[in-house]
Amino acid sequence: MLLNLDRIEPERIAILDSEGGIVTYGDIISRANAIQEEVRERTFCILPVENKASDALEVMAMLASERIVPLIVNKKTDKTLMDHLQHTYGNVGHAVHERLSHLLPTSGSTGSPKLIRHCYDNIEAAGLNISTFFELKQTDRPLMVLPLYYTMGLSMLFSHLRVGATVLLTGRNMTDPVFWKFMKEEKATSFTGVPYSFQILDMMRFYRMDLPDLTLLTQGGGKMPTPLNERFVSYCEQNGKRWIATYGQSECTARMAYLPAKWAREKMGSIGIAVPNGELSLIDADGNTITTPDTEGEMCYRGKNVTMGYATCAADMLKGDERNGFIRTGDLARFDKDGCYYIVGRMGRFLKLFGMRVGLDECEQIIATYCQTESACVGTDEKMIVYITDGKKTQAVKDALVEKTHIVATSFEIRVIDEIPKNETGKKLFSKLENK
Amino acid sequence: MTNLEKYNDIFVQVFGAEIAQLGDSFCKETVAEWDSVHQLNIISLIEETYDLMLDPEDIMACTSYNAGKEILARNGVEL
Repeated sequence: MLLNLDRIEPERIAILDSEGGIVTYGDIISRANAIQEEVRERTFCILPVENKASDALEVMAMLASERIVPLIVNKKTDKTLMDHLQHTYGNVGHAVHERLSHLLPTSGSTGSPKLIRHCYDNIEAAGLNISTFFELKQTDRPLMVLPLYYTMGLSMLFSHLRVGATVLLTGRNMTDPVFWKFMKEEKATSFTGVPYSFQILDMMRFYRMDLPDLTLLTQGGGKMPTPLNERFVSYCEQNGKRWIATYGQSECTARMAYLPAKWAREKMGSIGIAVPNGELSLIDADGNTITTPDTEGEMCYRGKNVTMGYATCAADMLKGDERNGFIRTGDLARFDKDGCYYIVGRMGRFLKLFGMRVGLDECEQIIATYCQTESACVGTDEKMIVYITDGKKTQAVKDALVEKTHIVATSFEIRVIDEIPKNETGKKLFSKLENK
Repeated sequence: MTNLEKYNDIFVQVFGAEIAQLGDSFCKETVAEWDSVHQLNIISLIEETYDLMLDPEDIMACTSYNAGKEILARNGVEL
């Protein structure tokens, strides 16, 4: 069975949520069996979720049944985007590839209709690799605030359920008193967040709290600002806790690299080395492998957690593995003499705002659709800069982006320019626009 | 700008709200976007605007337009 879930004692608690919801390992098996009884043929479905034990049960049971292939999306996905997904994939029915396990949108916040196709082997590989390098064990009680529809959140489930741990799941905001009560009373042993989660912990004066059970802090979803990173590394050093920074992409079922705790300070800012059973490499502009330290190139990854590819229409659900365990990440990196990798830039057109990937082209589409005006989106992981030519639409553009992406308005800066720079074939020249 | 105008401006910046919308009913329950990111943004701007350092209790309590005003009052800012 998937992740060997049937080898764990059935009465053990798999997931406990902050609203009192409880799911045992036995519940997952029973529900998976029930699905196999009810659903005779492999079937696609759209599954909107929130961070509740009952939703996590549905996800895990569908995957373990190998009968229902869910597209896992945010329950709060904007209606227009949800309709778009329905329209694009609503008639998939039984036409799914035999190894296709589940799908996630490429962009968490814009609910992009472009999906990532995962297979059952990806789940097994993520479960194995992640539980290995974090040294997870049955007595662990990880606190999960990352959404279930987000690759890193899902991978937390896979890796912890594989070892029979109890996942403490919450949909509460980290500014909600219930969140803190839950963390303390349920004796969370680890916390996993994106840079913004740690900014919140920082503001909440986390360092002063008494959390003796908490032994591991892990971070993914983009680079931490150095001063913030430094504060958490110091806190962990002084309080006997492990700090492990990681790197990953949805295309690879989350984690691909990690910085071992022993290097947390010395190599701060590095994404470290490949996860167990994975392999990182760099290639130059001609596609040749780079073997010299401190040389920039595109980072590539090889491993069983590399997903099968994308889906952009219903027919794609029948496609097999297009990547064969290898992917060019689109990130520019270098490695040091110890083989630790450092991300230096990005080739792709997306930002990571609050750890959520936000497609720049998709944002331009949102603006075109809702404001009927041309735009060019650039920026950094701190802020998106949106260039438009129609000064009267500044507010409308901001409103549309806030409404469709659910990202805080201060993350978008709208600038009005005379003309969007383009080359002779009409392609936008983003490099001519200031990105800060 | 008066202290109140500065306070209102924080909500305009964070939510893209209009001044007319701000009042008793502007809170976490009625504003769909009001999550921890927005809440922390309000806090950051309050701390920056009025040169304050708020306690975790204040940060957690900041769940409405009115609650923010009470937090300011507790920290000695008159609106």
